[in-house]
Amino acid sequence: MSEIEVIFSPSTEDSGTFKLLELPPDLLKLVEAAVEGNSSLALSVKGGLEEDAVLCTDEKTYTMRSVVLSNSVLVVTPPQTEEGQVDRIAIRDQLHDVIELVPSLPKLHKLKGILRGAEYDEGHEDEEMDDEDIPAESSPMRRKFTYADALQLQASEGELRRGLRDMRILNVGGRLRPISPSFLNTILELILNHLVSESVPHNAVPVDQLCLALEEHEIRRTVTLQVLAWFGVIRGPSWEMNVDEVLKQVALGILRPHKDEPVSEDEFLAQWKRAVSDTFEAQVSLTLLEGNYLSTTLPNRFPALPALLYFPSSSLPIDPAARFTDLFLTRSRWKAQDIAPYLADIAVDSKERDKLLLKYARAMTDAEGVWYITRNKI
Amino acid sequence: MIIPITLPRSSSSAPSLPPALAKLGSSEVVLLELQGSLEVEGDRAGQAVGTLTFPEDNNAKPTLLIGHHLLEGKLVTLQKPLAVLHRAVLRTNPTSHNDEHGEGMRYDMLAIVRRKIVFSKRPMPVVNAAAVKAGMEKGEEEGKRKKVKVG
Repeated sequence: MSEIEVIFSPSTEDSGTFKLLELPPDLLKLVEAAVEGNSSLALSVKGGLEEDAVLCTDEKTYTMRSVVLSNSVLVVTPPQTEEGQVDRIAIRDQLHDVIELVPSLPKLHKLKGILRGAEYDEGHEDEEMDDEDIPAESSPMRRKFTYADALQLQASEGELRRGLRDMRILNVGGRLRPISPSFLNTILELILNHLVSESVPHNAVPVDQLCLALEEHEIRRTVTLQVLAWFGVIRGPSWEMNVDEVLKQVALGILRPHKDEPVSEDEFLAQWKRAVSDTFEAQVSLTLLEGNYLSTTLPNRFPALPALLYFPSSSLPIDPAARFTDLFLTRSRWKAQDIAPYLADIAVDSKERDKLLLKYARAMTDAEGVWYITRNKI
Repeated sequence: MIIPITLPRSSSSAPSLPPALAKLGSSEVVLLELQGSLEVEGDRAGQAVGTLTFPEDNNAKPTLLIGHHLLEGKLVTLQKPLAVLHRAVLRTNPTSHNDEHGEGMRYDMLAIVRRKIVFSKRPMPVVNAAAVKAGMEKGEEEGKRKKVKVG
């Protein structure tokens, strides 16, 4: 039996300075490991005045939600002022809510708007040129947006790095600049040509030699190295190419002009195979392009000829309701496997994706299987 | 803006809680949950609230005596552990509105709490607190019966 005297904190400044944060199991493990000194963990809350705050670990982002309690929770600690008082505790704060954490997607879509006009293109590599054209003060958006600025976005650093890679954004002298798609394709073609002409294996390409070869085409070493990292792994002096990623990017370059005019599937595949040389011809497959094209048929042709339209999910709105509206405007009904790639970047996992489908779409079954149609207006 | 959260240090020289409470898992923080809340008139800083009695026997219930009210509590294991965060006091210029922009703000994670003491029942009135105290000292069982006199 021990009796403990409870007092209010002698300091009046304590009230309102405490928060209770509910730890989901995965985060709890990380925190425990870090406390025991087995690993390091950086935790931070990110958000602007207009945004809902998120909590970021090194790799993940969680939305913070305040959950109101009907009871009140007293935060009790040893008294801060007196030492050696073993039978005394102090109430530091009285709380009526806890913060719940919900895994969420990194909010990086802003980058696209922020970096508009900062594109890194062939012939326009010299960044000073841009800046002279437009006086800095005339447009605050033209301010150099750096990696440090990007860290302010609501995403963990790991997600930011992956996001920059997936959105093909270069870090040129500290400034973030999206590479222009056509310039990127030029670089990839040069790389593929280099592999063929020097007959080096694609899983062990000497990096130095490749950089020098590209410098002859006035492509800076720093750009080459970043592109190599996007499309493979650099280990010491050699680069292992990620064949699928390169093939996909090359295909997107061919498909991009066909946003409104469909291209015949056979013609497209033939063009794609030509572009990637004999070595990789066998690996060409439409599944690499999921979430980037729609199957259709060529107009005014009989019998129907399968064709493709460029339709990248990255061009669709981030807001789920707007995304579904766009999708159903494009197609009145979707097969589950066709719509899934267009929801991958707005849902954390497949469970979340199915929730979105339940909320915004209606399932319909006919002889061909399950279709999704819009919930609105019908 | 970015507000960093520091993690608890494994070995801390800060004063720790009485051993009976530290047994709950953290020597830094303990959470008491009340139905309703503590209302205080006037300056509360440093004022006495009451007495928390914590039995050695794990099956017995902790009690909180506030004035003439006795609350019976129970230990509850949290479904999801809670991290207790405390806003750090940073030496910034109080006239600048740094807080609003979060510059120089920091939260310290004091501890991870897995269990709390919940006082969910209605308080029982106690006529003579001193008598209760005396009764408790005599013996567990006897004390328990004696300490509550419903008036």
